[in-house]
Amino acid sequence: MTTSRRDFLKTAGVAAGALSLSSLPSWISDVTAAEEAAANGVNKTALADIALNTARKLGVTYADIRINRYRNEFIATREQQVQNVSRGQNFGFGVRVLYKGTWGFASSRSVTPEDVRRITQQAVEIARANSVYQRKRISMVPVEKVVTTWKNAFEKDPFEVSIDDKIQFLLSLNESAMKTQGVSFVNSSMSFVNEQKFYASTDGSRIEQYIIRANPDFSVTAVNRANGDFQSRSALGGPQGMGYEYVEKHDWKREAQQAGEEAVMKLKAKAVEPGKHDLVLHPSNLWLTIHESVGHPTELDRSLWMEANYAGTSFLTPDKIGKLQFASKIMNFIADRTQPAGLATVGYDDEGVPGQRWHLIKDGMFVDWQTTRDLAAMTGQKKSYGCNHGDSWGSISFPRMPNVSLQPGADNTSLDDLIAGVEKGILIYGDGSYSIDQQRYNFQFGGQVFWEIKNGKRGEMLRDVAYQSRTTDFWNSCDGLGGQATYELGGSFSDGKGEPGQSNAVSHGCPVARFRQVNVLNTAQR
Amino acid sequence: MLLTEKEARTICEKMLSYVKADDASVSVNSENYGHLRFASNAFTTSGARENVTVGVTVWIDKKRGSASTNEIDDESLKTTVALAEQLARISPVDREYMPTLGKQTYKPVDGYAEATSNISATSRAKTINDVITSCEKAKVIGAGFHQARGSASGSATKNGNFIYEQSSLVSLSMTARTPDGTSSGYFLRNHFDVAKLDTTRVAGEAIRKALDARNPRVLEPGVYPAILEPQAVADLLGFFAFSFDARSAEEGRSPFSAPGGKTKLGEKIFDERINIYSDPWHPELPGSQSAQAGLPAQKIYFVRNGVLENLTYSRFWAKQKGKEPTAGPVNSILESSQAPVSVEDMIKSMDRGLLLGRFWYIRGVDPRVALQTGLTRDGIWYIENGKIQYPVKNFRFNQSSMQLLAPGNVDMIGKSERVGSSEGQGGNAALLPVLKVKEFHFSSQSEAV
Repeated sequence: MTTSRRDFLKTAGVAAGALSLSSLPSWISDVTAAEEAAANGVNKTALADIALNTARKLGVTYADIRINRYRNEFIATREQQVQNVSRGQNFGFGVRVLYKGTWGFASSRSVTPEDVRRITQQAVEIARANSVYQRKRISMVPVEKVVTTWKNAFEKDPFEVSIDDKIQFLLSLNESAMKTQGVSFVNSSMSFVNEQKFYASTDGSRIEQYIIRANPDFSVTAVNRANGDFQSRSALGGPQGMGYEYVEKHDWKREAQQAGEEAVMKLKAKAVEPGKHDLVLHPSNLWLTIHESVGHPTELDRSLWMEANYAGTSFLTPDKIGKLQFASKIMNFIADRTQPAGLATVGYDDEGVPGQRWHLIKDGMFVDWQTTRDLAAMTGQKKSYGCNHGDSWGSISFPRMPNVSLQPGADNTSLDDLIAGVEKGILIYGDGSYSIDQQRYNFQFGGQVFWEIKNGKRGEMLRDVAYQSRTTDFWNSCDGLGGQATYELGGSFSDGKGEPGQSNAVSHGCPVARFRQVNVLNTAQR
Repeated sequence: MLLTEKEARTICEKMLSYVKADDASVSVNSENYGHLRFASNAFTTSGARENVTVGVTVWIDKKRGSASTNEIDDESLKTTVALAEQLARISPVDREYMPTLGKQTYKPVDGYAEATSNISATSRAKTINDVITSCEKAKVIGAGFHQARGSASGSATKNGNFIYEQSSLVSLSMTARTPDGTSSGYFLRNHFDVAKLDTTRVAGEAIRKALDARNPRVLEPGVYPAILEPQAVADLLGFFAFSFDARSAEEGRSPFSAPGGKTKLGEKIFDERINIYSDPWHPELPGSQSAQAGLPAQKIYFVRNGVLENLTYSRFWAKQKGKEPTAGPVNSILESSQAPVSVEDMIKSMDRGLLLGRFWYIRGVDPRVALQTGLTRDGIWYIENGKIQYPVKNFRFNQSSMQLLAPGNVDMIGKSERVGSSEGQGGNAALLPVLKVKEFHFSSQSEAV
């Protein structure tokens, strides 16, 4: 049976048109019955006025309120069966204040005028209690007032697609994966997120944003019961800031069948010889190396020791700006909150700063940071790059990573061209195990599929491969970049940072790339 | 405000009254959460959150659907139940459906302290001011995180079960760095009772480690004997009791799988002094009264005297295999069956080796042998002839947990104490000892501090 959201509305006995949504943009009228019931009567602008006026009267120098709704859907299957179909939503608000140079924040699921006033008072009380002992007053760079709405560029809202279609898609993907003899298990899933965000501040800004993200995923496992060995091959395509069109446009079934074949092949693959190898890395592998060793060390809060207790600091200290040859001269890394299909693409960040695009690494040189309004003020900059983000109405917003991508080479270099320049090396697809130290020097990455490169040609499949290097040694060893045709977007649906821990979705695009003489481990040798 | 038992029961009963499906389980969870963060010896972010979430899972003709919301007015509850039922109607049959439990009897657990749930912003600010003052006096730069949580939850089934539980947790972690950035120390502790969290000790230990780790020397990577402090053990093995899954072992894809489609059940997999178990009523580490699907939790040994004694059977897998479903784990305890050895005596007994305080960014590499990679962080010292000689620079390791605890590799075991994993930010806890092992595998150096 096929059922869509409209069928559900009928079943649930709620007439969408009967609800008053006058305070909301038109696209928010397209929500489920539960959401409509809750949205009814919530006048965000009026609530914002209550919060901001209350905060002003209590003496703050800045305040903002975020009133947000989050919807999510998750479907999980294995082999021929459905394991879970769930939908969730949550709604609430958080008020952030700056009082005597000290942050305070409070939040609640109860979105009423009385609770907005009470929670605002609580945020100020927290800031006031801490301000008694504050040693370093926090300030912010200014931003222009903005009143607008913004929506990311998806084509097909996944919450509009029938659950039945999604289930059939996953079961058919599983069937493709299980076609190869020797495949033992397959797990597949789809998750979708919709953020409906409202932001208002004492700067006078009022911003509404509507964001959709999609995360289809699968993993195939082959088991050799006779010798107790097992190998898995996970999806290469990562999450995207797109709608259901991402599920429809990528050939997931073909990839699932290929994954099944490769999982079985991995059981019999040749053991890698540890030591120095040239590496050719596919974007499905390289995105994660960019994330960990370029994205995180260029976060300014890390460099200023603000994250010292958890994620760590950064080897990129402020004195290295414009002086450190971070990567080889053919490399340009760009931070971009406007990138099409980017998971961290926004109209505005969570303190009213517009999405921007700027160089972090230019011609291999470390040239800039990721900043927020308070970080920019700490370092004497005049404006923020707009990297402030809170993962929920209940989380205080703080510096998070924008999309950070490696630009492709100017010519039409192909994967085969890069392989042709390698005598002895390894071609790696997919992300695997990953780990990096707290200042982002030493890292180790695995992968999903490894191919030997011999005398300029792809050879046999290898197994148990991980590469280990030092960030600047690794990026400076790059001597070949693929052209635009090899460029792909990878990413993480849930990158963790901060205390309490918050999740951020972020994309990293890159072409295929070649690295010389990187240390490779055989992870089966102990 | 946290929900009282009466309020939680009312919400659960209300949701069940809206259910038309054949079977259902519902839950409600209320939470009060507060935190204060500091860095560079100054307050940074601080906040509070109050929330109530409800969830419902229903089965119609054995077809399953789930929905959740944090809006708890009658209309929203009704709509959420209707959504779960709609999802169930369009789903295929849940082949792993097990009827929800009828009324169960639970033995209460004492893991909630009202004072923890109600820490005031003023008293917390003063506590952290004292911590920062101790950093200033020691001329180190402090960064840290204080959090406190109270929660109250209820869950019920259409077949008549109901349980209400309260819990609390407070933690403080701190990193002290020397102003030149060449040395760093870390300490973390948590408890359910704020009166038992020694914040002075947390600050003092982090500062001591930062000062003791100054001027580290470079050692070559390789295989070293090592003493792992409880924090390091927590970072590696904090969730170990939760890894003894029967299904994956029997499917051939777990470190507890054996060739020929068998498992290692009954085999001596670890040193004979090692015991790994879950105990809901442990006074230092109270767990939930309720295990999977609401089964009353029990004390369960996974490893006793080094022998793999139990694997965890879900209700579905237990039925498939003709076993009893496992009423746990609800917490993770590793302790020695012999008298504990102090860390001082371990150091005295060591000819040559390393003292490790903390691990960082630990990720699985090879699930067949529970091989993990990660790094040392915030203090590592070289020991020779029974004495700490000097601090050393950090290493990356590639180490199998199976090999770590294997017969022949464990030398001495200390007294188990309550500690949370540092990647988990102190939001979880386990009871873990100091471990002295004969081999620990370091694969490269890291210059990170």
